[in-house]
Amino acid sequence: MTAWNPHDSDSAVSRRAFGLRVSTLLPAAALCSLQGGERPVQAAGSFPVGNPLAPRLAPRPPRARAIIQLFMNGGPSQMDLFDPKPALDAHHGEAYFPKIAGEVENVKDAGALMRSPFRFAQHGDCGMWVSSALPHTARHVDQLALIRSLHTTNITHEPALYLAHSGRMISGHPSLGSWVTWGLGSENQNLPAYVVLDDPLGLPINGVENWSAGYLPANFQGTRFRSQGAAVLNLRPAQPEPEAIPLVRSRLIAALDDLHRRDRPGYEQLSARIASYELAARMQLSAGEALDLSQETAATQALYGIGTEPTDSYGRRCLIARRLVERGVRFIQLYINAQIWDNHTGLAKDMQAACDRTDLPIAGLLTDLEQRGLLDDTLVVWGGEFGRLPIAQLPADKDEQKAGRDHNKNAGVCWFAGGGVKGGVVHGTTDDLGFAAVEDRVGIPDWHATILHLLGLDHLTLAVDHGGLPERLTGVEPARVVTEILP
Amino acid sequence: MTTTRLKLSLNVWSRFARSLRAGLVVVLALAAPPRPAQCDEGPIFEDKLAGVLRQRCGKCHGAETQKANFALHTAAALQKGSETGPVITPGEPDQSRLYEVVATGEMPPRGETSLSAEEQQLLRDWLAGGARFRETTAPSQITQHDVLPIFWLRCTVCHGGRRSEAGLDLRTRASALKGGQGGPALVLGDPGASLLLKRIHAGEMPPKDQLTLAMVKPLESAEIETLTRWIEQGAPEAALLDDRAGQPDDPLVRPSDREFWAFRPPQHTVPLPPKPQNMGLARTPIDLFLLSRLEERGLSFAPLASPETLLRRASFDLTGLPPSPDDLALLEMQLRLLPEGGWDELWSRWVERLLASPRYGERWGRHWLDVAGYADCEGRREQHLPRPFAWKYRDYVIRSLNDDKPYDQFLIEQLAGDDLVDYRQVAVITPEIEDRLVATGFLRMSPDPTWANLTGFVPDRLEVIADSLDVLGGGVLGLTLKCARCHSHKFDPLPQRDYYRLSAVFKGAWDEHNWLKPETAGYGGALNTGLAERLLPQVNSAERREWQTRIAALDQQVAVLQQQPPGPERDEQIRRLTAGKPRDPRLFALWDNGDPSPTWIYRRGDYQNPGPFVEPGVPAVLTSPGQRFDPTPPYPGAFSTGRRLAFARWLTQPDHPLTARVMVNRVWHHHFGQGLVRTLGNFGTMGDRPSHPELLDWLSREFIDRGWSLKELHRLILNSTAWRQSSDISDLAREHDPDRRMVSRQALRRLDAEQLHDTLRLAAGELDPRPYGPADGVRIHPDGLVTTGSRRGLYAQQLRKFPVTLLDSFDLPQMNPNCLARSESLVAPQALHLLNDTGVRELARHAAERVSTVGRDDALTTLVRSFLGRSPTTEELELLRRHQAELFSAFQQQPNTTPDQAERQALQILAHALLNSAPFLYVD
Repeated sequence: MTAWNPHDSDSAVSRRAFGLRVSTLLPAAALCSLQGGERPVQAAGSFPVGNPLAPRLAPRPPRARAIIQLFMNGGPSQMDLFDPKPALDAHHGEAYFPKIAGEVENVKDAGALMRSPFRFAQHGDCGMWVSSALPHTARHVDQLALIRSLHTTNITHEPALYLAHSGRMISGHPSLGSWVTWGLGSENQNLPAYVVLDDPLGLPINGVENWSAGYLPANFQGTRFRSQGAAVLNLRPAQPEPEAIPLVRSRLIAALDDLHRRDRPGYEQLSARIASYELAARMQLSAGEALDLSQETAATQALYGIGTEPTDSYGRRCLIARRLVERGVRFIQLYINAQIWDNHTGLAKDMQAACDRTDLPIAGLLTDLEQRGLLDDTLVVWGGEFGRLPIAQLPADKDEQKAGRDHNKNAGVCWFAGGGVKGGVVHGTTDDLGFAAVEDRVGIPDWHATILHLLGLDHLTLAVDHGGLPERLTGVEPARVVTEILP
Repeated sequence: MTTTRLKLSLNVWSRFARSLRAGLVVVLALAAPPRPAQCDEGPIFEDKLAGVLRQRCGKCHGAETQKANFALHTAAALQKGSETGPVITPGEPDQSRLYEVVATGEMPPRGETSLSAEEQQLLRDWLAGGARFRETTAPSQITQHDVLPIFWLRCTVCHGGRRSEAGLDLRTRASALKGGQGGPALVLGDPGASLLLKRIHAGEMPPKDQLTLAMVKPLESAEIETLTRWIEQGAPEAALLDDRAGQPDDPLVRPSDREFWAFRPPQHTVPLPPKPQNMGLARTPIDLFLLSRLEERGLSFAPLASPETLLRRASFDLTGLPPSPDDLALLEMQLRLLPEGGWDELWSRWVERLLASPRYGERWGRHWLDVAGYADCEGRREQHLPRPFAWKYRDYVIRSLNDDKPYDQFLIEQLAGDDLVDYRQVAVITPEIEDRLVATGFLRMSPDPTWANLTGFVPDRLEVIADSLDVLGGGVLGLTLKCARCHSHKFDPLPQRDYYRLSAVFKGAWDEHNWLKPETAGYGGALNTGLAERLLPQVNSAERREWQTRIAALDQQVAVLQQQPPGPERDEQIRRLTAGKPRDPRLFALWDNGDPSPTWIYRRGDYQNPGPFVEPGVPAVLTSPGQRFDPTPPYPGAFSTGRRLAFARWLTQPDHPLTARVMVNRVWHHHFGQGLVRTLGNFGTMGDRPSHPELLDWLSREFIDRGWSLKELHRLILNSTAWRQSSDISDLAREHDPDRRMVSRQALRRLDAEQLHDTLRLAAGELDPRPYGPADGVRIHPDGLVTTGSRRGLYAQQLRKFPVTLLDSFDLPQMNPNCLARSESLVAPQALHLLNDTGVRELARHAAERVSTVGRDDALTTLVRSFLGRSPTTEELELLRRHQAELFSAFQQQPNTTPDQAERQALQILAHALLNSAPFLYVD
């Protein structure tokens, strides 16, 4: 199969041909800036030929045009959230560690089989089981395609995160968001194509490497919007200037850059830099508006849990994500600090706390996307880097009341919503105790291939030449699109 | 404790034998389900299986070589298990690690013959049949080696060397037997009568109200069980096997392991490569090595860069700043008067001039601070705590580089400066003594959350130690040591044992059982916790006298005030004077306390799972077989194990395989944008192979032979043709040297965070040139912007939680724990910062004002020179003039604007555009 390099051929298309999404709820000003995304292109004379972020036609019709990834760093526990295990109740307290000894990181703390401290119930028309920890997500099960058979290859956070983000267990490879935006460009030229909304309380494990462009051009790395203080610093100058000045200045900068680049043929980063200045200039016009949550009604803010603890911070990020999707940003990645899902101890309390911070905002996001007609072509992806074990992990004092669960690479859970996936389906099964995925197993490469597929990309052909080798997100691993969740 | 006593206690140790593993089996057995009844019919190991395993696995797990500390050539060895514990579970093949690795194909490793189906079945049958041996081993005993780690973990903070509450010292079996004021702690054979257990069972020990203060946790039931059984059995002792480094036949590291290129010393005489065809291009031996390889590919060097380009490149490279307009004028004049063929000579004088600049130490010091992970605060983000005296280490680094301190000495001081001076017993602390102590700040730089109550326990301390070893491993040794913390390194011949031997080298200072807590709120009075403080009072005597004088003066003022009648005004004055008292100056340093706790291998990195006892030592693969590690106290009467000094001396031997190579490679990386080995911190088997191994060795030998002089190394490199090439890419080079590994051109590089920050301020005339001293504080604005003072970026307070925004946006690394190679990102917020930030715009205004007094054209040229570090081209000048006119008329149309104001405002926009342009941001 031949590699499809979106930047080799003239596959860029105008946004209109690509299919403009216009939300009727957008204020007029926003519409202007949306349309501005294509207008100033040639007029300002500054748009480089082959704009790297220009929207590109996917090789086949996409089901989703944008993606919001809700990354749950730490490894959410499948048997306490989405994968009920009655057998765990039956065998609670029985020894099991010896059977899985090689799969347990903290051998010393390994306890007996542990039932979930949460109660499960069926929800929605589809009757999907969800635990009492996620009452709000439970209202949306008819929109979810749940995968219970996710598995990965490493039980340590760092390599597992690298794998989930870039398809390799080591750093230096492009992240999923970089691949997607490299493949498709962006529908909004006034905002970065790939936006990262990290938690002001701290970066996830592996820090900024999670959204690195690796060996893809630097324009495709994730741009962090801050969620504390101003989302983007220095969006506009503090002191106003006479109207003509900014334009003259940008023209001069562009002209100086052009001379500089002309004398240095072959340096891709110089073109990338020019593009980043142009993007910055356009962001000045539209980013402030895009990130201004005060434009949202009180009802909408409440829907996301903004203004209430513990949901305020994550709710803001979810609402910003919706506003960015509305404006055509291709890939938005949400993080939460300090591995809140890494519940080695205190599962009952700490996992509930993690749910409490995220459940309502996520449900709000799904509701809001749907009511604005955005969910059909926006893919929402939820999941972490691995799952957890069916046995207890005991704290040092062996107090079972405070038990947690250790990392598990053999089973984990993730879900998709919107973006053309079937709602209310459950794919894959784990064994009776939830230790390992046994049927319809979905590996990380499969998961990546499915996301690319939904966006109209093909994991086999989306490839770039790197050091003489065609590199792909899924590498040389066999990968299969999970067609069972497609209509 | 004196050295004599230390030796004694080590001798006591060495009389004991090790059999903790056996003890562990017992402990595990308590928790594990009962084993199925043993079958009498099963196969016997010695009959057939032993032969099969010896044949398939014996190469790496036999009498001679025991990878992962595991062998199966004898029944006893097999029963002992591996470094992670037992590998067989009789009656349960599926629970047996041995069967698992064979059945899953993990072992034998790729390239070796696997066990056949019949052989695997035989193994399975043997395990299922109860894993029977003909040769039976005696049931294992609990010995002092199972018990002492528990005492160290739970008790010795109060009943140890630093403090012996109630006269009780639990560091050895003998001292426990001797007991304290309440009598012997143990009654042999009678757990019930043993005071130790009585107090534990009564819940009195460790005392609950002291747990957080002393940072210990209560004993776990398995530990109490171990203690009980040990006492029951009469507290047996077991002799210690000699595990000092340097056994002639080391089963964990074989002679063949030492054959890997990076583990052999750099070659003494590297044959110079064959004469290249174009000999005329070569200026130094460096060029010969590179040219011969380039020519093999039909390539050559790119043309030499112009003198102006070179000067800008060299200025940034060596000083972190652009050439000054005066430098540019001087160069221009020199070039006009230059005789034919005189450029090489003139260039080498420029290199000398830049190397002599005090700015050199600031630039290259910053590189080293990245390696060290320099920060002005302790914890990770959430445990933020300032380090008020860390800046002295920063200054030490800058001064050492400016003085061209030999790299070997530089390392020795940083690793063992406290062992070089008898700082405790001298009357006068000279600046030199202070310097040696400050140098050890290198070993204190890791993020350290242990000052906080909840993050100061043994596992937290071990994280700090692991980070620090990681800095040393990646930054100095070029090894990924941290992999060997939990198990033997998967790819390099670094057994887990060697990791713990190395950690024992540092144990006189980094001792998880005798921890010095970072200073909290105040200092000067240790909290009454048994945890001593971590700042030394040995500042140089002059500084201390100065402080005393100031304090005395203040005290006197207060005394005078106190004579006056009381009143709110007087009291307020007294309060102000007292609050304004400067704090007692201290040193942020590391020192040996001469009394380290014993070191056990922590199985799987778990501090509650101690394995064999180890002595200090260096990685065996970097020594010749049989080479011993024998530290001695550094000088008579020293409070020190001398281990770190011995380590530092070993590290800086001229024949060390890694020390010089790793540093030379780092210097190359900074001069060329990538190393000869691109993985600066990994010279192991998973790291990059050198593109030019002979060149790396030649440079390493030159470096050593020229007295480990970094400036000599810079001279060698900057005078070479290779370094002086232009950064132009020819079509041929693009095709045959796309990643520049053959060095067919120089790199085009973006200014890094500090270069950008400093150049902006310099061009604006707003760079405060004062070197050294306490850091410039940071200011956190309401919108989250973080700004700092007006000195060079490296003097800004380095807070993990509040990085200066401008530096952060341009890839100032997060020090977790350090950074060996910075990344170069490209995102729109960088542009927004340079375009819109008020501080940046202010700098543009200052820059414009500086030049506005000269004529219009001169002003433009001067502006370009100060921002771009070169003269404008005709095209650029024309472009700038055109925009200047346009801006001028735009401003003049504004109400109340005089022509003079419009002129200045236009110039300000030009300055702002220049600092936003690619020619400003990129260096050829």
